[in-house]
Amino acid sequence: MFVLAMRSIRQRPGRFMATLLSAFLGAAIIMTFNSMHDTAGQRGVDSVSAETLSTTAAVVGGYGTLLVFFAVASTVTVNIRQRTAEMELLRCSGATPGQFRRMVVGESVAVALIGAVVAIGPAMLGGRLLLEMFQDTGQVADSVSYSFGPVALLTGIDITLLATVGAAFLAVRRATRRRPPRGGARTLLAYAALVLGALGVCSTFAFSATDAALMAPPVYGAVLLSAGFALLTPRLLSGMLGRLPLAGASGWVAVRTLRERASQLSGVLMPLTLFTCLATATLYMQAVENDVIDASGVPKSVDAKNLETLNLTVVGIIVVFACIMLVNSLYAATTYRRREFGQQRLAGATPGQVLGAVGVEGLVLTATGVSFGSVAGLAGILPFTMVRTDSVWPEQGLGMWLGIVAVAAVATLGTSLGTARRTLRTPAVEAVALAA
Amino acid sequence: MFRRNRRGTADAGPAPEALRLVKVSRTYGSDDSAVTALDGVTLSLARGTFTAVMGPSGSGKSTLLQCAAGLDRPDRGIVVVDGTEMTGDGEAALTRFRRERIGFVFQQYNLLPTLTVAQNTILPLKLAGRRVDRRRVKEMLTAVGLGDRLGHRPDQLSGGQRQRVAIARALVTEPRVIFADEPTGALDTRSAREVLELLRDAVRTHGRTVVMVTHDPVAASYADSVVFLADGRLAGEMPAPTVDAVAERLAHLGDGVTAGV
Repeated sequence: MFVLAMRSIRQRPGRFMATLLSAFLGAAIIMTFNSMHDTAGQRGVDSVSAETLSTTAAVVGGYGTLLVFFAVASTVTVNIRQRTAEMELLRCSGATPGQFRRMVVGESVAVALIGAVVAIGPAMLGGRLLLEMFQDTGQVADSVSYSFGPVALLTGIDITLLATVGAAFLAVRRATRRRPPRGGARTLLAYAALVLGALGVCSTFAFSATDAALMAPPVYGAVLLSAGFALLTPRLLSGMLGRLPLAGASGWVAVRTLRERASQLSGVLMPLTLFTCLATATLYMQAVENDVIDASGVPKSVDAKNLETLNLTVVGIIVVFACIMLVNSLYAATTYRRREFGQQRLAGATPGQVLGAVGVEGLVLTATGVSFGSVAGLAGILPFTMVRTDSVWPEQGLGMWLGIVAVAAVATLGTSLGTARRTLRTPAVEAVALAA
Repeated sequence: MFRRNRRGTADAGPAPEALRLVKVSRTYGSDDSAVTALDGVTLSLARGTFTAVMGPSGSGKSTLLQCAAGLDRPDRGIVVVDGTEMTGDGEAALTRFRRERIGFVFQQYNLLPTLTVAQNTILPLKLAGRRVDRRRVKEMLTAVGLGDRLGHRPDQLSGGQRQRVAIARALVTEPRVIFADEPTGALDTRSAREVLELLRDAVRTHGRTVVMVTHDPVAASYADSVVFLADGRLAGEMPAPTVDAVAERLAHLGDGVTAGV
């Protein structure tokens, strides 16, 4: 089975690109930030520098790791769910479900390892740049040299492997069962994430306003909350869909497709919710933080300005990562629907009608993901603002949030419509004949 | 408005000739590696007939069906369905042409896995923006023996049942011509017989025209006549086919072509 797994990767590298890309980016992010731990742990690093470095590693590296875990897991899930046809074929050629499971899990181990190993180089480069930024802004002494050590390496490889293999195991177990399961493990995971998230958000109040790591618990909490929502929403969604007033053939097809595919939607909803939540939470918190520094009466020095830029850059990296993951898994999910689109066309749908249905689905997805992501993000922002300032609501307007929503909508609709359009170039008869 | 009118005139009376192909050619690939799948095929089928198209693998029978059904465009030649020439360029125009006149049955059923039996059946009507008469849809599904499975999804049905849904779906738009591509290719003998009887019934009772590509002499024997194809050209016709006669003819199809050259 291992040989088959390796062959399956070699023969169709394209199919593994989405998983590989997410494993690579995820590992790179984790290693970049966690190498700050290694750098701080070197002998001869002064205590101020060491604290700055390990705070960054703990805060950003921490929630970044959590984000990577969920994002990678959802990409893997999306990809494995699409392989039922191949599974049927293998079953017909005499493979037991156990063999198929070992094959899929074996593939994911290989892909995750390749991704993580390839990520080492870029992560070292990224870490070095990050350290230079710290040194340029005077946060870290110039004498500190960069180190890429066991913490970065181990967390990077371990988390990527755990997310990939865990998700592969759960997804393939679901796929090889003859009867559709009730999703017990999934529900449990969702509730655990929600409870932990709520605890994380509440624990913000245990910190003092000047704590360097004050931003960590609310963001952790928000990320967990949005992951929990993303796991639970498909079920809520399928209930709500019946009441959507959607007219036209495209709307009719979209609603029915969404309702039936609701259980598979969490794979796409996850990165969307995570992106919205993380972008909203971190950008607003950073803005609040900057305002507090401004208001502290000290005239704005060059250093303070640099610090703001630095913080936004760090947050920006994570937000961009979340956005790439969103595009990545949507692309994978839509490519796999070539056959379904072909069948719609053979039943008499014009290309415009197929795209119309995809567009309606995209709108429903965006609305759902953005709503839950915003709620989760807000749940992180409010405690932070309450502890850091005297008010409950941040003073920043809705402008930033609208920007985030716009990016989420453009990424979701743009990716799904663009990918669907590409699949429509294949004649319908061929599209239907292609095996996945 | 324009579309309604066109449909209106078509309803006024179907053309006596359901399908006509004039010197239809189709070549795949380019230059050196070009393969001629259809080589100047001319064919005319009257309304209310059941025709089987047969030939060895690679004889061009699937290409013939796809060109005639507007799923593929011939390089040269004319395709006329129900008295109207197929001229649309672009998939949207071709799709509109097809859904007014043509129904499909495929070997792999091609039902949408996310829709129920009833929803799959009314899908072509929904897509064409036509009124859905639920009572009639139920009657239609009852007629193919699936009146009690309206809410089932395709993966809960056997192959034979899926194909019967596909036939109901093909009939629901009241098309002039139904194209069937190896409709029994994936079925056991009993299911195959049911499917073939339904197709024959569509011709006899409802006056539809059915064109079926098959390699199975038994399936072909349900048709009124068989058209043989070899190397992209017509290689004869057999009215009132029997299983043995078709099998015999098929076995010697290669000889006939060689002798003719």
